Amino acid sequence: MTTRVARDRVTGTPFTRGLGIVTIAGIVWLVIFGLFVTPADVNQGETVRIMYAHVPGAWLAYLAFIVTALSSAMYLWRRTRSLTWDRIAGASAEIGVLFMGISLVTGSLWGRLTWGTFWTWDARLTTTAFLFVTYIGYLAVRNLGGTHHQRARRSAVLALLAVLEIPLVHFSVEIWNSLHQEASVAGNTDVTMDGLMLFTLFLGVIVFTLMYVWMLLHRQRALTLEDMLDDTGLDRALAARRTEAGVS
Amino acid sequence: MVVNDDSLGAPSGDAGLDLSPRDVAPSRSRRGQRKWVPIVVLGVVIASAGVIVTQFLTSAIDYYCNVDEIGAKDGCETGRRLRVQGTVDRGSVVDDGTVTAFSITFNDVSLNVRYEGDPGGIFKECIPVVVHGTLQGETFSGDRIEVKHSNEYKADNPDRVENELDSPEGTGCSAPA
Repeated sequence: MTTRVARDRVTGTPFTRGLGIVTIAGIVWLVIFGLFVTPADVNQGETVRIMYAHVPGAWLAYLAFIVTALSSAMYLWRRTRSLTWDRIAGASAEIGVLFMGISLVTGSLWGRLTWGTFWTWDARLTTTAFLFVTYIGYLAVRNLGGTHHQRARRSAVLALLAVLEIPLVHFSVEIWNSLHQEASVAGNTDVTMDGLMLFTLFLGVIVFTLMYVWMLLHRQRALTLEDMLDDTGLDRALAARRTEAGVS
Repeated sequence: MVVNDDSLGAPSGDAGLDLSPRDVAPSRSRRGQRKWVPIVVLGVVIASAGVIVTQFLTSAIDYYCNVDEIGAKDGCETGRRLRVQGTVDRGSVVDDGTVTAFSITFNDVSLNVRYEGDPGGIFKECIPVVVHGTLQGETFSGDRIEVKHSNEYKADNPDRVENELDSPEGTGCSAPA
């Protein structure tokens, strides 16, 4: 029985273990293609290889934040109200912040090598930085305390507002004059990219997506265990008071 | 006291149970310390958001103009600090070790640029750049150069035959007159 309880308290399953192995294999494939197989760019030289982490990082961050918003909407809708949706929203936001961080760091390095500067207050960079700190704020709001449902309600409202920033970030390069180049693939019907580069970019998106799903499954289960721990703690306190009061 | 969180599921038989908070010995538990972390993080986030917006609006004071818009478009007056966009003309770059001089073109209008230092990045002929600075006479004196790159990615093939079609449209990437 102890073994069964212990088994229930882990976040891994045969599916996630299989997914983890496929993800690691994908990462190895991406590194080999990104660093050694794809050609250098005629203008940017070897620095173009940063694209294979930078672009998937940004796309997956958008996806993660959209999943956060959708899960939040599912929680707020009475028919589907469940703390599971709230935990998916929280887990997805955490992973989104991680991917956005990867995109910002790689973008800054890429900018230094191509533009000649690590950072400039350009429309795309500024809106991305704003999106990043917004979701760090979202994660802070989730941890402000209160009951699980209080946490879920306030963070769901914030998630539905925060997701509205994504179109602003994506279209910032078209709304304002921007140092950042316009979309190379997404929303661009006239893709001008070497075939192997394009393939590796899509490989990067697939690998980052697998990574996202793998982390999301584990993290939302870990959040469930954290909530259970909180509830158990309260149960223990109640049990102590019952013992004290002589209530069986 | 009524426990109304539906996730707790407090038994109804607990009526009369003393659930009032009590003073307990100060705890230095990890969870107790963590209570302040989100508040501090939230403060930092709000301050950061303020800095980001302020910096963006401050930098937006430098108007972003194409070469052909200088003196022709509102905000692109010659007496003010500008960010000017154009493509570096072929054969125009002269670097004497301390000053880099070159000309940029946009919509067939050219502008001479003077910049102290190495522009950095992938600066070269026939590449779009944004120069921050002021117009002094006929020359734009830049104090910051940012190199733009297009959304086109082509393999660096040594057998590639360069032709004029590779040059950005509207700039010609022509040699200065």
